[in-house]
Amino acid sequence: MKQSTRSALLVTARTLVAAGCVAVVVAARSTVGWSNLAIMLVALAGLLAVLASYNRRFR
Amino acid sequence: MPGNPSGTLPPRTATRRAAGPAPGRRGASGSAPRRRGNGLFVLASLLPALVLFAVFMVVPTLNVFRMSFYTWSGFSPDMRFVGLDNFTALLDDAQFVRAFQNTVALLVVVTVVTMGTGLFLAAVMTRQRLRGRSLYRFVLYVPSVLSVVVIAAIFSAVFDQENGLINGTLQALSLDGLRQVWLGDQDLVLWSVAIAMVWQSLGYYMVLYMAGMASIPEDVYEASALDGASPVRQFFAITLPLIWQNLRTTLTFFVMSAVNLSFVLVRAMTGGGPDGSSEVLLSYMYKQAYTNSSYGYGMAIGVVIFAFSFLVSLLVSRATRREPLQF
Repeated sequence: MKQSTRSALLVTARTLVAAGCVAVVVAARSTVGWSNLAIMLVALAGLLAVLASYNRRFR
Repeated sequence: MPGNPSGTLPPRTATRRAAGPAPGRRGASGSAPRRRGNGLFVLASLLPALVLFAVFMVVPTLNVFRMSFYTWSGFSPDMRFVGLDNFTALLDDAQFVRAFQNTVALLVVVTVVTMGTGLFLAAVMTRQRLRGRSLYRFVLYVPSVLSVVVIAAIFSAVFDQENGLINGTLQALSLDGLRQVWLGDQDLVLWSVAIAMVWQSLGYYMVLYMAGMASIPEDVYEASALDGASPVRQFFAITLPLIWQNLRTTLTFFVMSAVNLSFVLVRAMTGGGPDGSSEVLLSYMYKQAYTNSSYGYGMAIGVVIFAFSFLVSLLVSRATRREPLQF
């Protein structure tokens, strides 16, 4: 696979995961409960993981 | 002396010994009083700041932790140690869970929207030759200098059910079906607060990013343009890495300030209503500690807020750590 294609796919995947995490946070808020709060915190952790994965190659 | 069978010192060493300690080096006998004197001076200089820090930061923070193990009304002299009871009570408190969920939702959505839009607008204003750029910058920055209570009043008027800007505009456009009770609908109220939060913070962070971007040398962009880099490529390959330290600091601060800002806006715009649907952790803590006379329980919520903010800030800081680039 070409390097440019690979990086484009990586960027798309990261964007989708980040958007998915935000969507999960918004959706999980509609029901009150510890399980939904846990889902929201996992989604927040997912966002931070995406950020860390983007930042990893610059360390 | 090993390697020197004659027992005599080399000439350079002998000279140094005869002349005493070399300049810049401290001998064992001469440096000790000087160092102690410096230490006392440093301590005396730091003492006022340390005392203030201890009195106004460390002691109140420790007091929050201590009070979370007590039950106290906040007014009476009766204070009873209850151990972890306040924390176990949190587990059965649905309103606390809802406030926690609202805080997380605001933290995520407002941070993503504010940082993303702020970066985009800063890049456009810095790199594109827009007409009236200073005016846009001024208009976007104005909310940052307004009091949060004034912003709450503005948005209460904007979201007014009958004569508000949004519903009035929708009515004028014959889109009556889209009119909402923005601050009275349990599903919408939190997002109405989120809009006010974004509006308040956006200009401030945009100006911060613009300042960072303005310090990037123009010839870096010129060189990349000669290599055929598009503006998007320039943003991700040049702008973003070179303002990363700026971005990292603002992101860490924003996590903490979003928690605080949400409290003030919720308090001023909705009071946590309707039916607690816009309650956030700080407003719920305030309500328990100062309105419900459950000071110990409120402090237990404060401990949770402290732990959550600290953990998220730490994780953001770790996730964004990188070597600073010199240019």
